Amino acid sequence: MAESNLDLFIRVAEKASASVLQDCDTVFAATYISEHLTGTLLLPHSPSLQRLGIQDTLAQAGVNLVTGDVRQQAAAAGGGLTGANFGIADTGTIVLESTDEATRLASTLPEQHFVLLDPGKILVDGIAAVAPLRALHQRDARNFIAYITGPSRTADIERVLTIGVHGPKQLHILLLPGISDDPLEN
Amino acid sequence: MDKKRNQLYRTQIDQALATPKLQQALHQFGDTYLLARENAFAGLDFEALRTDISDMKDKVRDNLEHYLDEFCRNAEAAGATLYHAASAQQANDYIAQLAVTKGAKLVVKSKSMASEETHLNDALEKAGTRVLETDLGEWIIQLAGQRPSHMVMPAIHMFKEEIAELFGKETGQEEPAEIEHLVEVARQQLRQSYLDADIGITGANIAVAETGGIALVTNEGNARLTSTLPATHVVLVGIEKLVPTLEDAAKIVQVLPKNATGQLLTSYVTWIRGAVPSGDGTKDLHIVLLDNGRRTLAASPNCKAALNCIRCGACANVCPVYQTVGGHVFGHIYIGAIGIILTAFYHGLEHAAELVRACIGCRACVTVCPSKIDLESIILSLREQVGDAEGIGAGKALVFRKVMRNRKLFHSLIRAASLLQKPVTRGERTIRHLPLFFSSLTEWRTLPTVAEKPLRDLFDNLPQQVEQPRYKVALYGGCANDFIYPELGIDLVTVMNRLDIQVSYPKEQNCCGIPALYSGDKETAVEMAKQNIDALLKDDPDFVLTTCPTCTIALQRDFVEHLHDNPAWVDKARRLAAITVDAASFIVNQLQAADRFEGLPGPERVTYHDACHLKRGVGVWQEPRELIRATGAELVEMEHADRCCGFGGSYSFTSHPDISKNILNDKLKDIENSGADCVAMDCPGCLMQIRGGLEKQEKKTRAVHTIELLAERLKTKS
Repeated sequence: MAESNLDLFIRVAEKASASVLQDCDTVFAATYISEHLTGTLLLPHSPSLQRLGIQDTLAQAGVNLVTGDVRQQAAAAGGGLTGANFGIADTGTIVLESTDEATRLASTLPEQHFVLLDPGKILVDGIAAVAPLRALHQRDARNFIAYITGPSRTADIERVLTIGVHGPKQLHILLLPGISDDPLEN
Repeated sequence: MDKKRNQLYRTQIDQALATPKLQQALHQFGDTYLLARENAFAGLDFEALRTDISDMKDKVRDNLEHYLDEFCRNAEAAGATLYHAASAQQANDYIAQLAVTKGAKLVVKSKSMASEETHLNDALEKAGTRVLETDLGEWIIQLAGQRPSHMVMPAIHMFKEEIAELFGKETGQEEPAEIEHLVEVARQQLRQSYLDADIGITGANIAVAETGGIALVTNEGNARLTSTLPATHVVLVGIEKLVPTLEDAAKIVQVLPKNATGQLLTSYVTWIRGAVPSGDGTKDLHIVLLDNGRRTLAASPNCKAALNCIRCGACANVCPVYQTVGGHVFGHIYIGAIGIILTAFYHGLEHAAELVRACIGCRACVTVCPSKIDLESIILSLREQVGDAEGIGAGKALVFRKVMRNRKLFHSLIRAASLLQKPVTRGERTIRHLPLFFSSLTEWRTLPTVAEKPLRDLFDNLPQQVEQPRYKVALYGGCANDFIYPELGIDLVTVMNRLDIQVSYPKEQNCCGIPALYSGDKETAVEMAKQNIDALLKDDPDFVLTTCPTCTIALQRDFVEHLHDNPAWVDKARRLAAITVDAASFIVNQLQAADRFEGLPGPERVTYHDACHLKRGVGVWQEPRELIRATGAELVEMEHADRCCGFGGSYSFTSHPDISKNILNDKLKDIENSGADCVAMDCPGCLMQIRGGLEKQEKKTRAVHTIELLAERLKTKS
């Protein structure tokens, strides 16, 4: 039997040095983040995360949240938490529509990036991803859309793969079933 | 030819060859790259993918203004400011002026080859703006005051100790030469700059006409920071990066990282369209569309395919010359095979003149190019242009124009050479030492002598007893088979006769013209094509057999290309192309007679060396192996079996013997490591090179042409 999109996604994302957690719920996700986070957590606006009420759960778990002026506090933050529009199985990629600047800052500046993704929103490959990519371009006049595969990396010194150069050093993908079935939202 | 420039270039080569550590690093990278690339493409059809990309890029190139208009309309509608830069100077002036207007003190940049092409940093610094490269490799070479030696990995030529020293100067303390530590130093040192910078400058891997947006394909995350934090974002992008739709862009994204470094996908692919939110307002987004020779390239009938390049750098990764001398020598700003071509159009033919001659023509780059660019043919056509502009050297010009075109004169001079060489041959078939200023040519390989009697003189006396010939076959010997290795022609007759084939040798055949063509003298090549077509078609043979793959390419492909617009000749050229076949393929495919060699005496451990022009020019590599196995010999594959042996015709004699020697040594090591007693090949040029190298190093392994191996076995049996 052919590998499912989900299994393929997990296998390839882990190979790209992402941590992938399956069958999470809100409480588990919040606990996981509080256990792994070093410093404050940037939490930009995200419809799926808002519906989950993750902000309260995180606060209960003792996470120090930054929700207001993300730009001012981004550089000092330890981590960022975002949703994801959808995943791409064959490259282990999460797609994050991040035209909103806070979402961009939360996923580029801190050392840790936590992502909540609905495992039902995983497409097979980059060609299948074109349909939602185009839909996002049709919905919004201006776009900043990120395909993120594993943490930041470089091989610029003696071709040795080294994780975590300018972007996040860790990418944690938490799979939460039932949080969103719409690839146009994150 | 510019002698001073040529001397300077040779000095650079000598310096590069004196850095074995660099060579070792590039060789290792070449090996790991190929493996990673193969894994990355597992389950995908690379040929189909690259045909798609090539077709799509053809369409864009031929309708460039249409797609450019569409892109600009959409980008402007999304709030971008567009600037069309006809030249590097215009692009630099625009961006420098923007920096001045904004009072910008600091610019952060992510990696952009287009900005290297225009020397943008110099222009900005002159305008009083500090420029900071943030890509790790680019930052390293910025600190070192150098230029990239690879398009994807700019600092591939540097080692961690040198980098630690550079970083130490920045931090003011000693930095340990540990890679992980050095990467962290870069992170910490550059971090604040993203926040402080007034302008972020990026390139673009793709510009999508459908959306008016760009895509950045990156790993480090610096391009995301560069395009997010500063209030102004400048995109400098060559107009060749256009694609029509998001589907087309997705196809490039699918192939680019796999072919560049063997990654399934880079850490980040970022799609940016228009002036996105930034701080309290929106980003000031400027897109500078760079021509700087691109429209000229698009209009060049012989070279335009080079505009399809997606900048993966693979052509350098697999190039034996690049692996031997590195990108600073085998490149100008752009490096490797594509670099030679882009240099000619973006920086001027004079900057490419030495580079076009440094290409050995092995076609390794052509097989991995994701846009299916025939890089070798384009480089060849540039060599022609350099030849026309600068001359090909008085010596070569005399030989090609006055001598080779006159077959009788050419052949009588070779015969004379066979007499003149006697003082150095000592009656042997190989020359081990040449006197005086020729001595360097035999320092690293012996050379075969010119045979006392060429094949053409021996041929009519060969007893050919074939009662019912299956086909009428003419042998095209080429210079090597005729004058250097006549015994190879005799062996071919032995083998063919055993397979009930009668062989003729048309005496008016001449050199195939490739040496003249490769030296930039097309006119002579065309004249030779005509002479050979007449000679070979005269008795209307069923097939023309070849033992040299370079001749095979000439007969199968080049003659037709030379004469395609000459109605008196084109049909004849096509006829000859259709009936020309290399000897091994003829036996295996046409005669289906590989089994006729079964049960011959053996066993011997044989390894096979793929001649560049046979495997990547003619597309033949299985047939000779099938024949070797059929003889009962044990076929053991060497590493890098299809890597060039370094011969390259006049490359190894006059153009770049030192590079040739290094590439040969790589091959000899691979042969030795295979543990074979014998290395077989189907090219007299490779045979000259490899046999010469093995003899000089006094190795026991022998080098043979596959046809010789077959004849040998037949003779032992009977």
